[in-house]
Amino acid sequence: MPPEFIQWLQDTSIATAIRESALVFPIILSLHLTGMGLFGGMILMTDLRILGIALTKHPVSDVVNGLRPWKHLGLTLTATCGILLLWCKVAIYYPNPFLRIKLALFALIIIHALVFRSVYRNIADLDRSPVIPGRAKAAAVLSMILWIGVVTSGRWIGYWEPKNEPVNAAKVVNQ
Amino acid sequence: MALFLAYDVANNPLNTNEWAFPVCEVLHIIGFAIAIGTITMVDLRLLGIGMKKETPADLVKGTAPWTLGGLALVLISGPLIFSSDPNLYLHNQSFRFKITALFLAIIFNYTIHRWVALKQASGGVAALTGLISLVLWISVVFGGIFIAFV
Repeated sequence: MPPEFIQWLQDTSIATAIRESALVFPIILSLHLTGMGLFGGMILMTDLRILGIALTKHPVSDVVNGLRPWKHLGLTLTATCGILLLWCKVAIYYPNPFLRIKLALFALIIIHALVFRSVYRNIADLDRSPVIPGRAKAAAVLSMILWIGVVTSGRWIGYWEPKNEPVNAAKVVNQ
Repeated sequence: MALFLAYDVANNPLNTNEWAFPVCEVLHIIGFAIAIGTITMVDLRLLGIGMKKETPADLVKGTAPWTLGGLALVLISGPLIFSSDPNLYLHNQSFRFKITALFLAIIFNYTIHRWVALKQASGGVAALTGLISLVLWISVVFGGIFIAFV
């Protein structure tokens, strides 16, 4: 994307207001983490139930279907806050490699949802199945890896700093 | 006491190793997601708005080992993060608020919250319990984030 556009996005009045507010920025960040706390754990519990590790006394479909609307609500909250956090400092974050890793993981999460759509659509089949099929287990394991990757890369965004390129004298002279 | 006085934060691996601190933070986030996520499942049931196919008692029993595991992860990674700069945290208003809220939230979770869920209390009592639990845990998260902003 052109750097002028990225800078313009960051300089919009709403983005500037969020970035410069002593209260709004940390509140949005807290809501971003609250969303993860309330609903990230539910994603893990869904995956652990499919794997037959957690909540095994409850039918798979009860756990997966019962948690689904809440996971969607949490994802909406977390993503909305995440977009606001990114928007208000987008020129600062744009070159950050961990942001790019995080966005790439989101692309993989969308692909995961498409590839394993049949597993989640026919989740009640697992209630009747004596063993959990390999395809469902693969979906659950990959889901956990992807989401833990998202949290990890997200946290690392804050630790990366652009390296100040040493001034190249020859380049300056030749300009 | 001598040991305490000899403690120098500059030698703490969390301050000398580039990776140690963010790794602790990631474990802290995953830990609280598991703990708070599982507690929220019970809260939604107590409020009568989610997981209606299960009873609160079954949910609290089923999630209990995961809640405890998540809390263990948080209570290991948290003090490690604290050890990187105890003076900063001890004098931080938001940290004090967070620890108070955490203390209340844990006690509430293992007393009233648990009893109400196990004893299948009436709608009003159950809903109030779920609401208090949610408010306490959300307070802990907000308090934690605001440590960096006060």
